[in-house]
Amino acid sequence: MTSLVFFNNKGGVGKTVLVYHLAWMYASLGIRTLAVDLDPQANLTSMFLDEAALEDLWPDGEHPGTLYGAIKPILRGRGDIAPPTAYTVGEALHLLPGDLGLSGFEDKLSDAWPKCHNKDEAAFRVTTAFYRIIEQVAADVRAEITLIDIGPNLGAINRSALLAVDAICVPLAPDLFSLQGLKNLGPTLQDWREAWHDMRKKAPADLPVPDGKFKPLGYVVMQHGFRESRPVKAYKRWMDRIPATYQEYILGKQARRLPSLDMDPNCLAILKHYRSLMPMAMEANKPMFSLKPSDGAIGSHVEAVKKCFDDFDRLARRIANKTDIMLF
Amino acid sequence: MLTRDQLLALLSDLESDRVERTVSTNARDKFGEAVCAFANDLPGYGKPGYLLIGVANDGTVSGLTVTDEMLTNLGGLRSEGKILPPPVLHIAKFSLDGGDVAVVEVQPSDLPPVRYNGRVWIRVGPRKAVATEREERILSERRVAMARSFDARPCQEATLDDLALGQFDAYRRVAVDAETIAANHRPLEQQLASLRFFDPNRQCPTHAGILLFGTNPRFFLPGAYVQYLRMPGTELTDIPEDQAEISGDLLSVLKELELRVRLVVQTRMRSVSPLQEQLTPNYPEQALRELLLNAVMHRNYDSNTPIRFYVFADHVEIQSPGGLYGEATRANFPHQNSYRNPVLAEAMKALGYVNRFGYGIERAQALLRQNGNPPAAFEFDERNFLVVIKQAAP
Repeated sequence: MTSLVFFNNKGGVGKTVLVYHLAWMYASLGIRTLAVDLDPQANLTSMFLDEAALEDLWPDGEHPGTLYGAIKPILRGRGDIAPPTAYTVGEALHLLPGDLGLSGFEDKLSDAWPKCHNKDEAAFRVTTAFYRIIEQVAADVRAEITLIDIGPNLGAINRSALLAVDAICVPLAPDLFSLQGLKNLGPTLQDWREAWHDMRKKAPADLPVPDGKFKPLGYVVMQHGFRESRPVKAYKRWMDRIPATYQEYILGKQARRLPSLDMDPNCLAILKHYRSLMPMAMEANKPMFSLKPSDGAIGSHVEAVKKCFDDFDRLARRIANKTDIMLF
Repeated sequence: MLTRDQLLALLSDLESDRVERTVSTNARDKFGEAVCAFANDLPGYGKPGYLLIGVANDGTVSGLTVTDEMLTNLGGLRSEGKILPPPVLHIAKFSLDGGDVAVVEVQPSDLPPVRYNGRVWIRVGPRKAVATEREERILSERRVAMARSFDARPCQEATLDDLALGQFDAYRRVAVDAETIAANHRPLEQQLASLRFFDPNRQCPTHAGILLFGTNPRFFLPGAYVQYLRMPGTELTDIPEDQAEISGDLLSVLKELELRVRLVVQTRMRSVSPLQEQLTPNYPEQALRELLLNAVMHRNYDSNTPIRFYVFADHVEIQSPGGLYGEATRANFPHQNSYRNPVLAEAMKALGYVNRFGYGIERAQALLRQNGNPPAAFEFDERNFLVVIKQAAP
């Protein structure tokens, strides 16, 4: 099983949309896929499920069907994780639903992190909770790939989430804030890796602990935020800066000769703004590339749906190529 | 279905290209492709093909345990609508000395070419492959000679000029795999023929072609429209509040019906406790949709009668010409389905109006139940099919 997280501390770049569509794409390519919503805002969950299903998942009180249900015993200090359950979305697609209650875990995780240095077993159990939950669910549903969506910040929940993954993809928009975000992200990731590297040696022997390498796989340029009104020149300038900034801050290499964006091996995809397809997809509760004439995708939309399919198909294959996912 | 002895004979007959053996149990795409290839029957055996799961290439039984779940999954091949038009399948499990074998028997299709995910698969000796343009042409020509369904038969008075070809082009992009389209050089008549909308021998569109893309389908098929009436009370004798004859090509008819259904559905606010209110529609929109789509898909287009979609103050009636068809009978309705119009069914699946085959009525009933409506009542005789849906109690 390969696990991937999509992470950028700049919000609003279309991260959740990306995870949602990639999950459907992998499932349609016959890869057993698990989508995990670790963002306390639970946007990914609400994209997958309609209101009636959400009401069933989030009744008042206990939430046994969500991630929150699984960490609740830890949160209350009454033991280790509870067995988590995945929600079956499609034939090869499962979801570990998120929960607004997850935000309450932030403080607990912040507390636990430094205590790991003191060989505190409880602290290790808290810190690796996400990792162990995800491993367990992925094994239950026999997932070949796990895609994780997290919130846009450098907090403790995200730090702990990163411990659960093999690789990171960075979605970004061609603007100042995204590039500035990259500059903060790179060093922070490095700090977290080093700290965990020291700490994991002190973990109790019987606890499965992640290796915490979370290797950077590349970036995906999202044009969602791109507005018509902005001069194309400025936009192009930000695009040109992405390869160097990524290499310098995320990979920690001094960039000498820099490729252009479309030639950069770290660039996994440049995704267009699919305009009216997205609202149509939200309405129909399915990915943009699966829209049919009955959903309103007629005339020129047919071609756009096809283009969108090709884009995500290419991205899915690109990522598969860089990891150990077998695609035929 | 074959007998145990026939199966044993097939196991050892390694030469036969009507048999595909496999030991893997979860290669759904491979199974789909194999079923599609047998249904196309390019060599023209006119006999069923067999997919044997749990048998190695050399004919030995691999020691598989066939579960119920697996048989159900195999049954899904028929109803999921990935193989179009829907093939005729029989599935059985045999327990042999070395382990279980799941057998899928595939009858050759009356309406080739059959597609799996938009691609035409055929048998080439002991293997399968995607059909070339030439092979697809052979299949299209063979089909017309033996087409039994009304929608696949030629509409002899019509010509290519009676079709709106822009509509066809858009449909083709939805129904046919993109790579096949990109590699395509065939003339328009053959593009139409390979999707069963044109008869290459008589050089005219089929009835399905006219229904889907005709500029004026009612000229050739006078009953091909929906009569919509909205009555103020509960009697048909009152003066209608609104009426329309919904006609045109299939996609326009379906779009128009959708708008009418939205007008029928009215949502009321109901208080369930002093602090809570609940929104209750008088009819679940999806259930009305399913039942209307059923009428459009299964009606008899040979008749001059329209589908009648009558909306009364307290109930809705949908009446369509043509009684139960084929294997569907009074005794097994609605659990057994049969396709009077397989080409139309295929188109409605490709356009996304139908998701799976054979679940429409059960789904409608479930939605009605959840919404608090009485179950839909069905009445049918030899010539007509009527559904009555009562409003939910306020």
